[in-house]
Amino acid sequence: MEAYEEIVRLHQTIAFRTAWVITRSDADAEEAAQDAFVKAHRALPRFRDGAPFRPWLLAIVANEARNRVRSAGRRAGLVLRVAEERRPDDAVPSPEAALLGSERREQLLAAIERLPDAARDAIACRYLLELSEEETAAALDCPRGTVKSRVSRALERLRAELGEEVEA
Amino acid sequence: MTDLERQLTQLGRELEWPSTPDLTSSLRDRLRTELPDERLPADRSVRRRFRPGRSLLPPAGLRRSLAIAVVALLVLAGGVFAAVPSVRHSVLEFFGLRGATVERRRHLPPAPRPRPPAVGERTTLAHARGVLGFEPLVPAAAGTPDAVFVDGSVPGGRLSLEYRPRRDLPEAKSTKLGLLVDEFRGDLNPEYAGKMAGQATRIEPFTLDGERAIWVSGAPHFFFYRSPKSAFEERRLRIAQNVLLLEHGRLLVRLEGAFGRARAIELARSLGSG
Repeated sequence: MEAYEEIVRLHQTIAFRTAWVITRSDADAEEAAQDAFVKAHRALPRFRDGAPFRPWLLAIVANEARNRVRSAGRRAGLVLRVAEERRPDDAVPSPEAALLGSERREQLLAAIERLPDAARDAIACRYLLELSEEETAAALDCPRGTVKSRVSRALERLRAELGEEVEA
Repeated sequence: MTDLERQLTQLGRELEWPSTPDLTSSLRDRLRTELPDERLPADRSVRRRFRPGRSLLPPAGLRRSLAIAVVALLVLAGGVFAAVPSVRHSVLEFFGLRGATVERRRHLPPAPRPRPPAVGERTTLAHARGVLGFEPLVPAAAGTPDAVFVDGSVPGGRLSLEYRPRRDLPEAKSTKLGLLVDEFRGDLNPEYAGKMAGQATRIEPFTLDGERAIWVSGAPHFFFYRSPKSAFEERRLRIAQNVLLLEHGRLLVRLEGAFGRARAIELARSLGSG
């Protein structure tokens, strides 16, 4: 039990956020993540040797999340705010932090928001959550090839929406 | 990765995600009602104590924590999680130095794909001397290193010295090098380096000139560095060949190659500030 708690502790953030990307609801995401961890615990003895764990867990999480979306009907938009730009103790922003200006972040968020659901989920999983292709495929319940094509099309659409400003 | 992809990744890091609820307490209650409590068997499965000098085996309470940590490490290893259902019964022995842990497992996870060592930024010994939180040690018996690297993400920094294969330093399959020396502050990074070995690997703890050491040889074993921020850096697991782990003052020194124990000791004894 204690060992499994450690597993939960390590994965609860990515599980909760993945569920949130699908449900767009804090309460549903929490329920989905919790139910997924219970199911994963029950299924551990059947876990396939040699398979990576995180995609397996995220597939269960995402399935739980989708079940809640189905029963709730329509889901809300991807309402996320950008965190405070700089903490008081950050004298100098890192090169990464300096990469995006606040205007660019708002543009990107708005452009993502305008994407169709499937494309938005693919972008959210691959880039906002930084899931691997395999993890994204597991979370979205589709083959890796589909993830690739969805991401590719979504990126094209984002580029078109954002125009020259995003291109190097 | 294109600019747009980089920006999207950065955006994800800057977003104010809903705060993650602590699921562990609620899950604890749910799981307890479903399943009998499973006791970690680490206390009875760790069989041997390290004899020379003080024991390397932690106290019983800590061993239990370590067994839990082992599970956590395997989880974080992603692809090696396969052993989790049986992990609670598979840790046979545990050895620790200040800066490194070695565990013998009944079953090893599937082997990771061969990959070169992650060594940080290439630099010079003189530059490394200025940026590291310790005086770099060079094995005089191997001469001047062919390449010097510093990884600054580790508290105090990590130094890696690479020696190309040559007659007295045969090529190691694991690194394609004749000798790889890693050094870091073991006192600042108490369990930074980790090893998992199977039953065919020899793990020999001993003391070398008053310092604790472990010689790991025979069948290849798995090696990883834990992330300074969390516990473990995913995708860093790699296969290692013969390795001498050595406490050297505040440092943990790691020598890897295709050489035997006597040669490893000779190299270790020749470590100096050069």
